[in-house]
Amino acid sequence: MKTRRRDFIKLSAASTLAALTMLSVQPHSVVGRMLAKQLLLEETSKKPLEGLRFVKTFCGMCGALCGIRVGVDSSGRPRVVLPLNGHPQRGLCGRSATAPWLWDHPLRLKKPMVNEMRGEARFKEVDWDTALNGIASKLKEIVSKYGYKAIAITHHDAWSYYMPLFSYLFGTPNVISHVSMCHANGTVARGHILGAGGPPAVDPDYENASFLVLIGRTLSTASMGALHRARTNKGLQIVVVDPRMPEIGFGDVKWIPIIPGTDAAFALSIIYVLLEEELYNADFLKKYSNAPFLIKPDGKPLTEADVVEGGDPKKYLVFDAKDGKLKDHKVALDPDLWYVGEVTLKDGSKVTVKTALTLLKERASNYKPEVAESITGVKASEIRWVARKLALSNGVVDDTWYIARNWNDYDDVRSFLIINVLLGNIDKPGGLCFQESSKFPSVISVKTIEGKKVAETVYGARMPEELFGDVTKTRVDRAKYPLTLSTFDAVLDAILEEKPYPIKALFIIGTNPIGRDMNTRKIIEAYKKLDLLVVIDIMPTDDADYADYVLPDTIFLEREEITSTKWTLHASVQKQSKVVDPPKGVDARDALWIMFEIARRAFPERAKALGWDDKYADYEVYKDEFLHKLDEAILSSLAKAWNIDKEKLKTALEEEGYYVLSKKKYYVRPYKTALATPSGKAEIYSLAALAAGLDPLPDYKPPPAYTPPKAPDEFYLVNGKSPLTSFQASLMEPLRFVGDRSVWMNPKDAERLGIRDGDMVELEGIDTGWKARVRIRVTERVREGVLFAYATVCGRMSKLIPKDYFAREGVNPNWFAKGYVIPIVGGGASNSSVRVRKL
Amino acid sequence: MRLAYVWDSRKCIACMACVVACASANYPELMREAKPNPQWNWLAGNIRVIVGENGGKPELRLISCQHCENAPCVSACPTRASYIDRRTGLVRIDHSKCIGCKACLVACPYGARWLNPATMLPEKCPGPFCSKLIENGLNPVCVEVCPAGARYFGDLDDPESPVNEELRKHRVERMLEHLGTNPKWFVITG
Ligand code: SF4
Ligand code: SF4
Ligand code: SF4
Repeated sequence: MKTRRRDFIKLSAASTLAALTMLSVQPHSVVGRMLAKQLLLEETSKKPLEGLRFVKTFCGMCGALCGIRVGVDSSGRPRVVLPLNGHPQRGLCGRSATAPWLWDHPLRLKKPMVNEMRGEARFKEVDWDTALNGIASKLKEIVSKYGYKAIAITHHDAWSYYMPLFSYLFGTPNVISHVSMCHANGTVARGHILGAGGPPAVDPDYENASFLVLIGRTLSTASMGALHRARTNKGLQIVVVDPRMPEIGFGDVKWIPIIPGTDAAFALSIIYVLLEEELYNADFLKKYSNAPFLIKPDGKPLTEADVVEGGDPKKYLVFDAKDGKLKDHKVALDPDLWYVGEVTLKDGSKVTVKTALTLLKERASNYKPEVAESITGVKASEIRWVARKLALSNGVVDDTWYIARNWNDYDDVRSFLIINVLLGNIDKPGGLCFQESSKFPSVISVKTIEGKKVAETVYGARMPEELFGDVTKTRVDRAKYPLTLSTFDAVLDAILEEKPYPIKALFIIGTNPIGRDMNTRKIIEAYKKLDLLVVIDIMPTDDADYADYVLPDTIFLEREEITSTKWTLHASVQKQSKVVDPPKGVDARDALWIMFEIARRAFPERAKALGWDDKYADYEVYKDEFLHKLDEAILSSLAKAWNIDKEKLKTALEEEGYYVLSKKKYYVRPYKTALATPSGKAEIYSLAALAAGLDPLPDYKPPPAYTPPKAPDEFYLVNGKSPLTSFQASLMEPLRFVGDRSVWMNPKDAERLGIRDGDMVELEGIDTGWKARVRIRVTERVREGVLFAYATVCGRMSKLIPKDYFAREGVNPNWFAKGYVIPIVGGGASNSSVRVRKL
Repeated sequence: MRLAYVWDSRKCIACMACVVACASANYPELMREAKPNPQWNWLAGNIRVIVGENGGKPELRLISCQHCENAPCVSACPTRASYIDRRTGLVRIDHSKCIGCKACLVACPYGARWLNPATMLPEKCPGPFCSKLIENGLNPVCVEVCPAGARYFGDLDDPESPVNEELRKHRVERMLEHLGTNPKWFVITG
């Protein structure tokens, strides 16, 4: 995107020309010929439109999987992407629009390749058999020396459904995804406060919300379904709290620039105002949260077991204001939210107990708006305004998605969720709502059949326990970070330090750890120490240079898949239909086929046990028979779970591209169904955190993930996503022009340092020493003292990418990130601090 | 009929879906050959992006042909290749009459025209694909793709068209209106 200040002033109504160009247009009075109402393209998609055949499918340019229609021209080339209207997660964004460039992209990986010199990307094309046999024989050698657990697999969204299957296929527990660098901190927090899972498990009801606060959440960058619901909700007012103004900020959105890493102080201050000004929903808190639970001085909740011999440790005691007695929360008529008093324990000792809400208020009192202002840089009056507005407009704070930024993000998200709990705006129209489950079957699950443990696949193959290999051993990341969902940094440690045991082989499937994970040097060092590195992808990644083998995967336009619709509150499934075959000269294969074929060669008994027949070695037979069997099994399972006709479901998926199984039902959790927290309630005081050795209440701690900038030439370097960035979209031709590979600097900082818009500077990581040159964009879109760069858009280093290719420009923010992982929770942090030198 | 575009600056999220889809739908041959739009140093499509910074919150403008009722490009064209289509009110180019003199490129105060590097003839909105959609009574690509519901297209002469519905409800501006071009491309600002 170009900033052309002169042009803009020339064209726009901004300030000076406002009087000349602003015009309040009256309704046009000409009653002319009536134009036939504009039809949606949708209605004509049954017949070819302007020579284009439209295929309904879902997008795979990022992990959101929005509903789209792809127009293919008569020569079989994808030409244009349009949204799939009516789809519960309607597309599309700039990334999706670039998909026609992906299919026959000149850089697309075309043939299996062997690297003749690791790190140098000296690749030689080979046939599939040579590559697969080579990988298989190396794997056998590794497993015979170190066991199956020495194999690790890392991935992102592509093929993620099949990852548990790959775990059994290769006998390893170490399938470790990207999430520590994405939503892990938020997901652990969602689990602790609401008993919910990944980012879409709970979401604001964007369609019906009236006031939405996005803290470090862009909404404009992925899941256009959610964005569409928010932006077409005419009554919705949006506030964005972020050190940089995300794209959605261009619209009628209030942007509050905050100092990086201080979100928890901001949110705790809101909590303080809500509690101090009694703006909370007392009824909700009494019944559906653990706010009235009494907490002992040791931090543990007072239970029946504390006061009565043989009492139930699951009966959490509260003070019932109705009759002034201590009671099990379940039977108390009016649990006191603010009780503080002495209780006698069963051994006769006396302790002072306080309600969880009292403790929360004590904590939040450290962040009165004036104090929070000095930490966050946000005016106290603004903090109060947001808090009051949230309470008075039935507001909601987004539960976040990408949040691996400052190390303290787990506490950020906990405090955001607690705000929603205090407002009582949970699972209500316009509030923070639970997604309806689609009851989508797992690809593999362990069962006991006839007294024997087996792993059964969705399509009915059974692997006996004897073949599990090391699947049940502790994962390398869980050994280090017990609550983690996935921490790739621990894989690097296992490679480099061989602790808790060595990792010797790594499969990288559809992801780019060098672009995605912090501390680039450590990643490269680890790659060099591996005995086997295999990259399966569609485009070159920086990681590919270090791989022994690079194998070309199919792109989403070439595959068929049924999945749950991710970003909707309804229970819905959707189908990816094949739009095109790979172009001439691209001998790509599904990663699913690739993994089975490697296993068939290395560990034939494992592949066989998981239902892989030798005949599937023929790629056409795999597509016709194996994939068919898989789809049918998924459809049968869904039809059974929902008691619907399988053929009807199948036809709907084929014809419409999606099927809504059940519309969102409000007022279910926690009202009728207990939450998956230890108490079954919304926990403002997290018992799960307490059990894991974490602070049960959120707090603000200055992030240790980077040395804070101090000198005039030192800055925070924060990063984020845009509606154009994903690691494959970033290489598409339109990004040459519409991609932003600069680093943003506030005009005041620029003036102070004598830097002009477009100047080249050198950035040096204060903690990593990494140096890189980059162009500065001087813009008000970033707060003073902070620099901003888009994540995953640029700074590509692979030798497979030509020297003058645009994606090499700019920086990868992870170069500067120290590599600090949150203890226990296991999330990473990609923000950093840098020194700027004018060139 | 006077077809017009409305863009809601309050709703747009700068996702660039319209910018990119415009290029892929209308100029597939340029896309295939990775030929850029030389005038704007931009991808070969009809929408340009400008971010304005005047000290306050930065503002975004998307710019394409404004379909002026008093079109400088039409007056400048020596061969009448540029004309206002009476049926639709849209400004069109008849490439068969165009001699590639570039007078229209210079005349357009919005810089909405560019030279197709393959044919060396001017291009602008609506491109060939969108033209056909419009003739079939369909929405053009940019309107159809927008995830934010920020774009509308319709007939100013039809009081019930979606554009009139929006224009009735909101504060609107037209770019460079003071030049007397009388553009049919509206920006909702409030
Ligand atoms: S915008 Fe430019 S090209 Fe379009 S009609 Fe007006 S003057 Fe002509
Ligand atoms: S109408 Fe078509 S040609 Fe014109 S800007 Fe929109 S997409 Fe581009
Ligand atoms: S598609 Fe819509 S939201 Fe995206 S840039 Fe265009 S007008 Fe804005």
